Amino acid sequence: MKQLPIIILLTLATCRLTSSETVGPTPTPLGPVSSLPMNTKSVHLTGDNKIENVELLNPVNLSMECIWTGNQNNQPNITGYWRKGGVEIQDSRVPVDPENQQYTLRRVFNIASEEHLGNYTCVFENEAELDFILAVPQIGEKREKPIVSYVGDFVILTCKMEDSKPAPRTWYWFKNNGTNKEQLFEAQRYDITVDGRNTKLKVKDVSEADSGVYHCAAVYNISTSTNKMHLKVITIWEPLKPFLSILVEVVILVTAILIYERSHSKKKEAEANGPNADPKPQGEDDEAEESSSVRQRKT
Amino acid sequence: MSSTLNRKMPPAAADELGPTPVDGGWGWMVVLGAHISIGFAYTTPKALSIFFRPIKEDLGASYSEIAWISSIMLAVMYAGGPVSSVLVRRFGSRPVVMMGGLMCGVSMVTASFGSSIIYLYLCIGIIGGWGLCFNLNASLTIISKYFLAKRPLANGLAMAGSPVFLCVLAPLNQYLLGHFGWRGSLLILGGMMLNCCVAGAVMRPVARQSTPPKEVDQPNNTKSKGSRLDKVKTFVDLSFFKNPGFVIYLVGNVMFIFGAYAPIVFLSAYAVSRGVEEYSAAYLLSIMGFVDMFVRPLTGLVANSRWVRPRIQFLFSFAMVFNGTFHLLCPLMSTYPLLVAYAVFFGVGFGMVFALIFECLMDLMGNQRFPSAVGLVTIIECFPMLLGPPAAGLLVDIFDDYKYLFFMCGGVITTGGLFLFVMNVYNYNRLEKANRGKETEQDQNTVEKQEQASSSEARMELMDSEVKEANTARPEPQPKEETC
Repeated sequence: MKQLPIIILLTLATCRLTSSETVGPTPTPLGPVSSLPMNTKSVHLTGDNKIENVELLNPVNLSMECIWTGNQNNQPNITGYWRKGGVEIQDSRVPVDPENQQYTLRRVFNIASEEHLGNYTCVFENEAELDFILAVPQIGEKREKPIVSYVGDFVILTCKMEDSKPAPRTWYWFKNNGTNKEQLFEAQRYDITVDGRNTKLKVKDVSEADSGVYHCAAVYNISTSTNKMHLKVITIWEPLKPFLSILVEVVILVTAILIYERSHSKKKEAEANGPNADPKPQGEDDEAEESSSVRQRKT
Repeated sequence: MSSTLNRKMPPAAADELGPTPVDGGWGWMVVLGAHISIGFAYTTPKALSIFFRPIKEDLGASYSEIAWISSIMLAVMYAGGPVSSVLVRRFGSRPVVMMGGLMCGVSMVTASFGSSIIYLYLCIGIIGGWGLCFNLNASLTIISKYFLAKRPLANGLAMAGSPVFLCVLAPLNQYLLGHFGWRGSLLILGGMMLNCCVAGAVMRPVARQSTPPKEVDQPNNTKSKGSRLDKVKTFVDLSFFKNPGFVIYLVGNVMFIFGAYAPIVFLSAYAVSRGVEEYSAAYLLSIMGFVDMFVRPLTGLVANSRWVRPRIQFLFSFAMVFNGTFHLLCPLMSTYPLLVAYAVFFGVGFGMVFALIFECLMDLMGNQRFPSAVGLVTIIECFPMLLGPPAAGLLVDIFDDYKYLFFMCGGVITTGGLFLFVMNVYNYNRLEKANRGKETEQDQNTVEKQEQASSSEARMELMDSEVKEANTARPEPQPKEETC
């Protein structure tokens, strides 16, 4: 008999749980579902739009709605369902009746954590569909080129979230270590500064071991968004090699040209001493001959 | 042929026409040297912009602070013209170009160790700018010394260095940046610029001059025979302004330079605003540069022909009007294929003007005065060149529409071209009438002049006064009969 109040309490509690809307597409999370804020995303299918990007920062109950204006057939009865990641969500099939010549498919999703983000599709069977891509704000700037630094120097890696997107809660930095990502913390060689939308990682006294892929992660309540960049550390010798080879080439060419000219003019000097009318200005007695030869060439 | 000319022709002049052949032979090696030298001079300020972003991140400067590097370099390169002219007149082209190449190399190498933006201003901007200035001025001068009959072609080939080097340096710089970072790239670029020393070595001095070259050639001012007065005015020879041909050229040039560079700077942005994707928009500039590469020597070839050469100033004004017209038409180009067509015609017009820009000055001023003239022209051109793109940018900011930029640039350039055309017609008529008055003194020359109503007029005057003064003379008009 003493157990009865406990049983009743338990029963009431269970009833409470089961009566609240279980709207998660995946196994219902344990958190207080109804305490999350409600967001709505409503999209009209026009035939042109195929994707709707939804930026989320915090866990939320997201009501997604697809409105389709139908076609000439004007069927009375269409089945609509939802997919996540391309896979049909169980128990999401509902019949959709037209209202004012519009078919509306709506569902509330509990987006509580990272695994709830992804690609959701509302489908009007055999007629139309639309993708909702739920994600945290992505860092726009992609660095494809490696950042090059020299041994002993310092290097600053930066990440920035665009002004048009919401600022993250904080930033983390990671470095690839084999197949793992290792988080970097403020230490002797690392200086991390977080300033709202910007973050800087300063690596001091770099060595070749510091080469590799670095990730900056913009942390939001629901998930993190990352960007990667490649750091390449080289010694001063690397650019010095081509430089020195070019220097050698220049010196050789200049010397060769000047030597060739010297020998060429010596040859001409030798010829000039002969009796022939000579092109080089070695002697004034040639002047008259030159003038006449020039004159002939002109006329 | 005037017998007076031959009798007074000194060895120096004769040597120049002698078997170290002018208009060929070693002259083509000199053209190659000038090609390299001019190529670096025009391309380096543009190609450096690829390094701006990494430099900005490393040194923590703002974008406008970084952009000043190029502006300082260009400003020094143009403003240093008169100094360069003096050095070239004194020492000849070879030492000046070799010195320029050395300075450029040093500037880039020292810049690669830089850690502050001011340091880069000094190294790249000032030292580099001076180096390029020496290169440019001296290379143009040596061409005028080696060529006469084929000079337009030589000029066209040498000026083609600019687009060729741009097409090579731009991707090369990207590659270097990815492998060595901006410091290593500057180091290697410095090494490459040392090749200007090789270009300089090739510029063999034309002749041992029996009289040191002096600034004596002023047909409008025969009193300066002694030429001692000129030593005072060695840097900036203001008497050039008394030459109407020079002033006309200068005005036309200033107008062209003002409007010439802004369309290049803003072309990709304009294309993107018209819905072209970024990569294709960047491609437009490459198309323009590629076309430019071929148009310059071709224009030189055309300008060298018998019909065109006497009327080269008119070809120049036509080229300017052509260029300007296409800028005016640009706002009508709304699709990508049309923009590609615009880029092609832009390249053609731009190439034509630049192939002729210095040839026309040589044509007007003659060999002796060219070094000083070009120095004066470049220092004056400094202003429109630095003011043009920002003014155009301001138009874009105010009206939030690129079409006004193109209208402004096209309008200014076309007006400049028309101005040149009209004023040249007027000037030649005036010269022709003036020369008829001197018929008694030079009969044969007058006959020639009447046969060729052309730019030879100005040079005939020059030649006559030079002959009178028994100084180094250049029988410039005569080779016209030889032209191909």
